[in-house]
Amino acid sequence: MTQPHSPRPDTQWPRWEVFKQDAPNRPHQAVGSVHAGDPQHALLTARNVFVRRPAAVSLWAVREADLLTATPEELAARPEVLETPGEAGTYHVGLKRTHKRSMTFVDLVGTVEASGPGDALRQAREGHPDALTWLVFPESAVVRTDEDPGTLESWFAPAKDKTYKQQQFYGVIGKHVGELKREGRMPGRAKEGGQP
Amino acid sequence: MTVSSQQPETSRQQDLAPEVRAALSAKLTALADDELILAHRDSEWTGHAPILEEDIALANIAQDELGHASLYLELRRELDGSDPDRLAFFRDADEFTNVRLAELPKGDWAFTMVRQFLFDTYEALWLEAARTSAYTPLAEVAAKALREEKFHLQHTALWVERLALGTEESRRRTQAALDELWPYAAQLFQPLPGEEGLVAAHLVPDLGQLRGVWEGFVRSHLAGKCGLSVPEALPAAGPGRDTHTEHLAPLLAEMQSVARAVPNAEVW
Repeated sequence: MTQPHSPRPDTQWPRWEVFKQDAPNRPHQAVGSVHAGDPQHALLTARNVFVRRPAAVSLWAVREADLLTATPEELAARPEVLETPGEAGTYHVGLKRTHKRSMTFVDLVGTVEASGPGDALRQAREGHPDALTWLVFPESAVVRTDEDPGTLESWFAPAKDKTYKQQQFYGVIGKHVGELKREGRMPGRAKEGGQP
Repeated sequence: MTVSSQQPETSRQQDLAPEVRAALSAKLTALADDELILAHRDSEWTGHAPILEEDIALANIAQDELGHASLYLELRRELDGSDPDRLAFFRDADEFTNVRLAELPKGDWAFTMVRQFLFDTYEALWLEAARTSAYTPLAEVAAKALREEKFHLQHTALWVERLALGTEESRRRTQAALDELWPYAAQLFQPLPGEEGLVAAHLVPDLGQLRGVWEGFVRSHLAGKCGLSVPEALPAAGPGRDTHTEHLAPLLAEMQSVARAVPNAEVW
């Protein structure tokens, strides 16, 4: 929410948050951002940066200026954020629910009808009081990849054939994680992690 | 714009006559050399592209083109047992059969994007037609590579448009790049000696047919959409693929240096 003070003007292109859907019926997830001059450039760049592998089926990009995010701490300090004005309409709601994940920051969980971004944020907080961060943006701000077979084929299908290894495969510098496991030196997992 | 599917399919290299096999092997090598040399030129931007995102994007494109080179050289290996790594790293400039368009120094960003656009359009059309090759291993490779190539083309077409319609300087650079590259483009459509036999057997697309489609598409994008001035006609292709500019040898010296430093390495 706060802009870091910079002594030099920012000459970069606008930043776009990228939301990636890994499979049909999965939520779009915030995976990072790209700088791009226009919506189509943002999508093409997002595809190159975030979808070389593994597979995905859809990408959305939303200009940074169209996003409103807040943590509970920020809202406690600056409740006026909930009054942020803007266009009325359908807003997407994203939540950060755990500190434990890497690679993805926020899952999109649905939409609300709101009188503006502040109202959308208020509704997001009411619906999901336990979230660590709320994020909202208007439907009108979203640029999306096409869903036609040609786009799926050229943007997303090639990644499926490429080798992809989860981050943990590469382990830590100097020691492969598999070696640490075999030596019984892997730190234990927190209980809520599920599978051992 | 497809190879006729009337011809019986040939899925096994043993079914090809020796002279057809030799001509196909030369064609696959030329296809691979274009990809390999262009991939290397693109890779020279790694760490130097105008913005981080485009650095990643062009590295992706370079890797894809390198992957296509590998696909073609594996097809050649099936024909004559040759080792793709030996072909890539232990041939000298006079043995490479890439087009001169691919070996020109990378120039500025506009030059790289215009070259990539001219090449991607040609490659996408060639692959689209080659999907119905009577030689099924090639048809399968073409179908696989076409998916990536269509995306490359969207990327480079967008960049050429943004540069041509951007600032005065970007427009000047883009027009200069086109003026410099245009005379090299006709070589993409120059058949190899013996290629007509492959076309007659419906093994590879007819370059003469592709050329018209390519020119129509390229003109409509560059002149129609981007407002660039495109020369009236393509100049003659010039000498064949055994003739290179002075730029290829230094490129190979760098590209092959590691492999040649340790020629007996078993694993890369």
